[in-house]
Amino acid sequence: MNSTSISAAVTPQPLFITPAEVCSEFSYHHPSVARINNGGFGCCPSSLISYQRQIQMQWLRQPDEFFFNQLQPGMLRSRNVIKDLINADHVDEVSIVDNVSTAISIVLQHMAWGFAEGKFHSGDATVMFHCAYGAVKKSVEAYFVRAGGYVIEVPLPFPVNSDDEILQEFRQALDKSKQNGRRVRLAIIDHVTFMPTVVMPVKQLVSICREAGIDHVFIDAAHGIGCVDVDMKQIGADFYTSNLHKWLFCPPSAAFLYCRKSNQSSALHHPVVTHQYGNGLATESSWIGTRDYSAQLVVPKVLEFVNRFEGGIDGIKRRNHDAVVDMGEMLAKAWGTQLGCPPHMCSSMVMVGLPACLHVSSDQDSWKLRTYLRDKFGVEVSIYYRPPKDGEVGPLTGYARISYQVYNKVDDYYKFRDAINQLVHDAFTCASLPDSYIRLV
Amino acid sequence: MQHEDPRNGESDHRSSKKPKLSSKFITESDIRDEFSHHHPRVARINNGSFGSCPGSVLTAQRHLQLQFLRQPDAFYFNTLRDGITASRKIIKDFINADHVDEVSLVDNATTAAAIVLQRIGRSFAEGKFQKNDTVLMLHCAFQAVKKSIQAYVTRAGGSVIEVRLPFPVNSEEEIISEFKKSIEEGKSNGRKIRLAIIDHITSMPSLVIPVKELVRICRAEGIEQVFVDAAHAIGSVKVDVKEVGADFYVSNLHKWFFCPPSVAFLYCKKSTSSSDLHHPVVSHEYGNGLPVESAWIGTRDYSSQLVVPAVLEFVNRFEGGIDGIMKRNHDQVVKMGKMLMESWGTNLGSPPEMSAAMIMVGLPSRLCLNSEEDAVTLRSHLRDRYEVEVPIFHQVSKDGEEGVRDKDGFISGYVRISHQVYNTLEDYEKLRDAVNQLVEDGKTCKMLYTE
Repeated sequence: MNSTSISAAVTPQPLFITPAEVCSEFSYHHPSVARINNGGFGCCPSSLISYQRQIQMQWLRQPDEFFFNQLQPGMLRSRNVIKDLINADHVDEVSIVDNVSTAISIVLQHMAWGFAEGKFHSGDATVMFHCAYGAVKKSVEAYFVRAGGYVIEVPLPFPVNSDDEILQEFRQALDKSKQNGRRVRLAIIDHVTFMPTVVMPVKQLVSICREAGIDHVFIDAAHGIGCVDVDMKQIGADFYTSNLHKWLFCPPSAAFLYCRKSNQSSALHHPVVTHQYGNGLATESSWIGTRDYSAQLVVPKVLEFVNRFEGGIDGIKRRNHDAVVDMGEMLAKAWGTQLGCPPHMCSSMVMVGLPACLHVSSDQDSWKLRTYLRDKFGVEVSIYYRPPKDGEVGPLTGYARISYQVYNKVDDYYKFRDAINQLVHDAFTCASLPDSYIRLV
Repeated sequence: MQHEDPRNGESDHRSSKKPKLSSKFITESDIRDEFSHHHPRVARINNGSFGSCPGSVLTAQRHLQLQFLRQPDAFYFNTLRDGITASRKIIKDFINADHVDEVSLVDNATTAAAIVLQRIGRSFAEGKFQKNDTVLMLHCAFQAVKKSIQAYVTRAGGSVIEVRLPFPVNSEEEIISEFKKSIEEGKSNGRKIRLAIIDHITSMPSLVIPVKELVRICRAEGIEQVFVDAAHAIGSVKVDVKEVGADFYVSNLHKWFFCPPSVAFLYCKKSTSSSDLHHPVVSHEYGNGLPVESAWIGTRDYSSQLVVPAVLEFVNRFEGGIDGIMKRNHDQVVKMGKMLMESWGTNLGSPPEMSAAMIMVGLPSRLCLNSEEDAVTLRSHLRDRYEVEVPIFHQVSKDGEEGVRDKDGFISGYVRISHQVYNTLEDYEKLRDAVNQLVEDGKTCKMLYTE
């Protein structure tokens, strides 16, 4: 760039966001915490927080005017942005809700009505993976099982080496239920499992469901958008939900629920009922009583933010993935362990085996270790206990789920590497921490 | 009006040796500052719809939001649950509940209605209730509540009785009498009334309902459960859940209690069935009791539920605390209502003792407000042309019934004015003059459609 031309020099604007700008956007994050758990609660850049605040102040300034003139058009704009991002056909197929937990409850409540209204029969089943998120399992219990349904759990092999291992388990479970004469009404499939984290072969899983005649296929993609490719038409599910605050930089919190147009889809309702009841789930969800909707209204600005990065959201995804694999391999090498899956089966997160000598031998231990890493070393990372299987010799029972997002630095992972090495050096074991160490009720 | 400065008369600064007395209470100027984010030119006399929140509470909220964003995991594990419990304890004391376990925080009264009604719906679906068992509600119940009944009760096979309240109303006895009549009707044909939903303060038209008496009647008549929808109550009227005696009682904290949008408390009297109440958004806390379920419904911004201590600090800066605020709001809204009524030659929708911080004032019949659309149009016109924000009610005249008249015809429209600490006399004068202008110009609601 020749800036010494005769005419007034014009400093060219950088095409893309610079590392310094990224740093500045996240400079409010706790400076001494190695924040490698983006999968937990996500993150939001300062410029979006400021924009959100403007919206909040607009509401507080004159709420009636905002309610009557701004809110609905704003929600529709956000839904249109999502529709384009996920390649949905109609904006009517896109509802915005608080989070995936809400979306799960919406779909499962609909299933519960299916039982109550005689469309489904007692003993009809839902199939889901054993490692489904806790809230999902509870929602299935609260709505599906309570209404008379049965749950088929599919084990997820872990560590896993190929998509085929997962597909095989799934087929086996469906075959077994067919043999038992059980009708499967709903399949709940994670796009990216949360713990242990693995990218599932959703497209093939959906095909298997269709072949097996399962009525409804629901993809829980809490970690979907911004983390993996999200294309509704390609994936072909009936329902698909993803958080926007985890990997798409929205402030807490917002998620979308996609419902493929069909004569069924008009029957879904938001559980919090308002005067909008019966106007379609998208409209119902855009007004569930007086609340702060600002997180849902910033979506267009979010797109502007991601498009400041080279390659937009796809570029971010790719770089996050490459970096997390690099960091994962660095840690595995430093600790003499392994990754929980091959690189192509991870997204912006990966499971890294922890040294066996730490003796992670229960869920309790994993919580204790996590808390200890936070309190003593300033490292925020999720820990997973992987129960040993019969016949296994010396398996790794502890894994860390590391994440990589645009604000991360290699020092974050060195900090973690060194913390674990320190623990190993000090002959630390999880048993050395009292059970009361966890500040959980 | 705004709180009178207790230092009136003490503005003499000449004797510098005397220590300056610091004001015990919040001053007018402090109040203006606290609400300086409100639109400066809008006469904001609709506090009932969306409430209001002072700057100092917003600052406290922002601090909490940033704390979460800075290190969300630490916030979730170390701060969140305790913070919500602290808020719940404050509310428990405020409303005279026995146990903090009886107090859940949810987004708003609409959510609370869904929680209670979902349980009723389930009872029908699971055969505990019979088809045609009944839910009783007021005809003027909030639209969201009516729809919630449709979504959960009617859909599951239950039936509904609506109690028509007289309006304008002259005494509590008129309401009690209508209520008793409807219960009789409900119990005829052997139907069992499983739930009565009673507003503490109705939304439109706004009236303070004698809930204690109505709950007593419900118990005497064998109605199984009573749910008081008190969306407007806390910060507006005294709230004593033991005195009221209902099974469920909900009130928004962002309407009259200065919380940011949005938060409400749902009180559930301890009983064998209260453990079967669930938040419709299920998380890993399912089964740990409604308060704990409600305190975690997935990743969200819980800051409005965490600022209740800051709100308490704010209201205690006022003379008499929240009681002082309530009394002054009531006195002023009645005074302003009478001022408008006299200027327009109309009426009040209820006697002063049946209003709290809101009151219905008749609009001149010459405006010819004859439909819901007219009410909406007039409201928009007042907002856009006169910068007055006030909700408007269309009073449907009943066949054969004599309505209230002004000198020109039947009064078919009412404004619902409110008074909150930030209001000034000018707000009501603005409304008064706007309506007088419309009448003077010979405008009817129909003419406003094209403007």
